[in-house]
Amino acid sequence: MTDQKPILTGAEKALLAQLEQAGQSAGAHEFAIAGLPTRRVESYHYSDLRSLLTQVPLLAVAADVAPGTESPAPYLSDAVCLDMVNGRVSIPGNMPAGLVVKEISGSVLSERDDALVRLNRGLAGQAVHIQFEGDVGWTVLVSRHLSGDACHVVDGVDVIVAPGASGTLVEMFDSSDAAHLGNHATRVRLGEGARFTHVIIDLCARAVRHFHSLEYDLGTNASMRNLIVNSGASLSRVQMFGRFSGSRAHGDFTGLNLVDEGQHCDITFDLGHAVPDTTSRELFKSVARNRARAVFQGKIVVDPVAQKTDAKMMAQGLMLSEGAQILTKPELEIFADDVQCGHGCTCGELDSDTLFYLMSRGIPRAEAESMLIRAFLQELFDPLENDELVGRLEAIVANWLENGSASAGAGKAD
Amino acid sequence: MSTPILEIRDLHVQVEDKEILKGVDLVVPAGEVHAIMGRNGSGKSTLSNAITGRDGYEVTEGDILLEGKSILELEADERAAAGLFMAFQYPIEIPGVATMTFLKSAMNAQRKARGEDELTTPEFMKAVQGAAKDLSIDKDMLKRALNVGFSGGEKKRAEVLQMALLEPRMCILDETDSGLDIDALQVVSEGVNRLRAPNRSMLVITHYQRLLNHIVPDRVHVFSDGRIVESGDKELALELEAKGYAAYDPVAA
Repeated sequence: MTDQKPILTGAEKALLAQLEQAGQSAGAHEFAIAGLPTRRVESYHYSDLRSLLTQVPLLAVAADVAPGTESPAPYLSDAVCLDMVNGRVSIPGNMPAGLVVKEISGSVLSERDDALVRLNRGLAGQAVHIQFEGDVGWTVLVSRHLSGDACHVVDGVDVIVAPGASGTLVEMFDSSDAAHLGNHATRVRLGEGARFTHVIIDLCARAVRHFHSLEYDLGTNASMRNLIVNSGASLSRVQMFGRFSGSRAHGDFTGLNLVDEGQHCDITFDLGHAVPDTTSRELFKSVARNRARAVFQGKIVVDPVAQKTDAKMMAQGLMLSEGAQILTKPELEIFADDVQCGHGCTCGELDSDTLFYLMSRGIPRAEAESMLIRAFLQELFDPLENDELVGRLEAIVANWLENGSASAGAGKAD
Repeated sequence: MSTPILEIRDLHVQVEDKEILKGVDLVVPAGEVHAIMGRNGSGKSTLSNAITGRDGYEVTEGDILLEGKSILELEADERAAAGLFMAFQYPIEIPGVATMTFLKSAMNAQRKARGEDELTTPEFMKAVQGAAKDLSIDKDMLKRALNVGFSGGEKKRAEVLQMALLEPRMCILDETDSGLDIDALQVVSEGVNRLRAPNRSMLVITHYQRLLNHIVPDRVHVFSDGRIVESGDKELALELEAKGYAAYDPVAA
């Protein structure tokens, strides 16, 4: 008989202590046995958190930071802005009609066999609840700031889009330059006929480790589009758990890992078509420069009753340097027989013929490369209806292209 | 005599360690149109790629001079700014890059490289609209992504549009007639002929004589096995059409 109990790493010990301190004895016991996921856990195959997460700062104490002091000029001029500083929510007094916002406590996530979800459920302090009512189509911007010295922030946003209502949620993450650990959650429930757009942008400092679990439930006739952009933290994992629970619902799920030297960014996606006659489109792109790693794992499960499911998943990667890595794993589990499901995957360098064509017209190599990278990403941004938001996203890409060696591939494009 | 626009001296070019061009000598004086004819595989495309500076075409001997200055050390974009333009046999489709954005980037990049002011939007729009009209290019075509969904004829007209807007000193037309029906050939040739000018030269690469009925050359050169093996006036093209290239094939050892 061998002792199954693993030797805990420093980070695991710190998380265990935080769970115990939070009075989560059952959770702590479970965590002490399972620890952080390794590559042997299929959904963490390319993101071995046991080795990647080396250190865990103290849990943020919400009262430490005065809320609402850090917001500069609004990122989106027409949005209703909410700030969460180290997990603490500040809600402006005058909410417009059709929008209900309140503070709630505890985790917003459902129980699930996943280490990050369990930690969020065990350690979550505050969360904000946002309810969209009517079809005004408000845009809400939740800015989550990780402030001050390194801390471990566990928070959440709970969204309900009422039947027939519509809305847009933009979640921005930024931080001070400290080794914060964020374990964030967002849960979205779409009522019958609801329409929803969700954009999630990580612009944290490199020192930050950024984890975000997303849960979506789509009711009958509901439709949504999301876009995840990972570009800030050195280590990030955004995981999506989506479920179609009403017929004729449609989801466009999209994401981008825009990564540079030393970054490891992971988008992992698990979508369940659980009822008949639902459709989804998944489009995930990665652009990796220097020694960076971009991970995409996409899993679509079609239940036996989910006839007429139509799902297509596409992953496309662009490697700009020799040391860049893009790791992609699509999975389809189909238990119904009358469905249309497919997936595709491409990965490569910028096309040398295309680059030559642009250069032969006088466009310098670096500018030609930037044009092609922007062109590659345009189809992620184009469907978003908010022009100001599209402008912000394009600015993130432009900034990424300008900072650092935009022509890292120069001289070896062939 | 004034400096020729293009002068090629004893040019040897290797592709993947294989010698394709084996000593090409060619002088194209200002204002002249020269044709290069030869069968497939004779090295015509290697010549155009070497002149425009494509990666992978290694010049091992000789020189290429544009208006008297060697361009061998220049990157493709610098050669373009120096006045070189090639109309591609197969123009590249680039989804996500709008045709107008591309045209403006190219025109302004060249102006910037030459130390000229960038075009204002009204100046740019005026230039494009004028040139597009001459080539029967409609607005819808300009609104699309670059070459995406263009027919063969539209692609070649778009190439000539770029040529008109970029105002090069030296134009290379690489198999411009391929994929064109008679009507499209007419429009494209008229577009090219309009661009003939005393300070602009052209090199027309083709293996059919029919294009040369429309774009009448001053000189015709026959290409075989990586060299120019015969030169003459426009009558040479007709002779070739009648007799074929066999007479110029290298003698089997």
